[in-house]
Amino acid sequence: MAAIIETKNLTKRYKKLTAVNDLSLSVESGSIYGFVGPNGAGKTTTMRMLTTLLHPTAGEAWVAGYSTRRQPREVRRVIGYMPDFFGVYDDMTVWEYLDFFAACYEIPRPVRARLVADLLELVDLGHRRDDMVDSLSRGMKQRLCLARTLAHDPQVLILDEPASGLDPRARVEIRELLKELSRMGKTIFFSTHILSDVNEICTHVGIVEAGVLVTEGTLQDIQHRLVPHRRLQITLLDPTRAEETRLALLEREGVGEVRLADPPQGNGSADAHSAAPALLEVNFTGDQAAVSALLRHLVARGLPLLSFTEAPHDVEELFMRVTKGIVS
Amino acid sequence: MTAPASGSAAPAPVAPAASARPRRSLREWLTGNPVTLKELRGRMRGARAFIVLIIYLLSLSVFVTLLYTLYINSNSGGYYGGSTLPDRQVLGKFVFGSVVGTELLLMCFICPAFTVGAMSGERERQTMDLLRTTLLRARTLVVGKLASALAFAALLLVAALPLQSLAFLLGGVAPEEVVIANVLLLSTAFVYCAAGVYASSIMRRTLGATILTYGFVLLDTLGLPIALMPVAALSSGLSYGVFLGPPPLWIQGVLLYTAGVLISTNPLATAVATEVVLISDQTLFTFSVPLSDVLGHTVNAPLVSPWLPWTLFSVLLGVLLILLSVAVIRRGER
Repeated sequence: MAAIIETKNLTKRYKKLTAVNDLSLSVESGSIYGFVGPNGAGKTTTMRMLTTLLHPTAGEAWVAGYSTRRQPREVRRVIGYMPDFFGVYDDMTVWEYLDFFAACYEIPRPVRARLVADLLELVDLGHRRDDMVDSLSRGMKQRLCLARTLAHDPQVLILDEPASGLDPRARVEIRELLKELSRMGKTIFFSTHILSDVNEICTHVGIVEAGVLVTEGTLQDIQHRLVPHRRLQITLLDPTRAEETRLALLEREGVGEVRLADPPQGNGSADAHSAAPALLEVNFTGDQAAVSALLRHLVARGLPLLSFTEAPHDVEELFMRVTKGIVS
Repeated sequence: MTAPASGSAAPAPVAPAASARPRRSLREWLTGNPVTLKELRGRMRGARAFIVLIIYLLSLSVFVTLLYTLYINSNSGGYYGGSTLPDRQVLGKFVFGSVVGTELLLMCFICPAFTVGAMSGERERQTMDLLRTTLLRARTLVVGKLASALAFAALLLVAALPLQSLAFLLGGVAPEEVVIANVLLLSTAFVYCAAGVYASSIMRRTLGATILTYGFVLLDTLGLPIALMPVAALSSGLSYGVFLGPPPLWIQGVLLYTAGVLISTNPLATAVATEVVLISDQTLFTFSVPLSDVLGHTVNAPLVSPWLPWTLFSVLLGVLLILLSVAVIRRGER
């Protein structure tokens, strides 16, 4: 898939401080790219360069094929930018706010009325159309800001900490909105501290620290690069056969450590009156065919399997592995 | 350096092509700038605009009433005492002069307030970045802010027209005077609003922009008497201390034109001097001042009524400040 955002050796220096250092990243069209890093890692600076607000000291960046240095206007036409602050006017109503920004994107007046109504519907603020922006809750303001970024139907959304400072409900709402926008074909490039969001919605991740891109790719790619083995979780209906299962697993090639873990809570399929099921965690090196063969092996042995799953990627673990806690 | 092949997929244009722009009506032209529309909506919302208008008209009325009372109670007839105009017409001129003078003074201090927060306010609200990532051009932003401020200033001027017209009941005010007085007021509003926009563009904070703008306004209005003092002192010193009579013609000429330039860069002095020239020379355009030295040489120094150079000065300075503001906003953050 073609890259819609690309940077080559992007660097930003402020006197002695190097905020972004030789950063080369590539964001595929249609992806949801999580730009993760500690505070002061250079995420916002990178985003400000991508949105033409800052000139790089060195290097180059392109959005949809347009150079941020030489074709800023074309870049602005294809991006929607939401900074990490609200940036709302307190003396405007909700529809005036959207109408104003739509006008700033040179959208003709006859189209704007319908557009504003559609945007408000998309972010579920239609009922607050005539309220003052100032009277909205934090989550609503964030949704309004997101609607603003969509006024000119951009291909790429560049969102700086879209979920920061929001309550859990508002965070879920924003997350759902981002998924919806992705389904609409938008490429979403967003920075975040919230690793669970990355896990939940990102197709790609870039981890940045001290202005340097530490790693980049899909979560699976990064996982395979950093943690070569898979982590399988096997639940047994009969906990007394855990040891037998462990030995059966160790017979197979690629099986590393097998550990008996605490059973999962609230397993709906478990009989409340019987003993709690046993959970085995297995480090396994092998491809998907090998995983399938392993499952067949256990079933053939007549072991009472309740579930057999590959544990989801633990972004926090990956993050801790690749970052060293340095800030620029 | 060219864009990488992988990222060269050109996007479909979102906005309509600018080349096929149809002719716009006056209303569309006025509301075509989104910044002007937004600013006017904000400015006219609620009681704020109404209160500003009331305070402005009340101050104007109080000042004019005071001046009128003072004039009526004084037997000298003030400045116009020596004129040959009938008393009622002299009073009409005085009332008109009082209204316009007070309006001018108020404009000098109200107009900058309309624009000192124009750009710095956007930075403080953190909306400047949002605007700079849209297709809004720097010139549209600057002109939009200025236009909305000028529109409100124009509203204040229109609202004060009934007060100006009180003088028409008494007579003595020519239609040209009314036109020139309002040109003077508008040009003053223009240059001081532009000064506010410029200060707001170069300062990060509105407080800094306020100090800078009012510093300029004070220097331009109150600084003039201070600047004129050495000119007057030099003229007097040369006459009585050095030459024991009128100094050479070229020195008189230099002093005369220096004073003229200083007057023409100050709206209040311009207003007074324009009225003086109108009464003494019966002209609103060109006139001459006879100069003579101790040897009996005489020359007529040609001059123009101060409102003309002031209008030119204020328009040129205003345009320059707008262009500089556009350049500052366009350059943005490096």
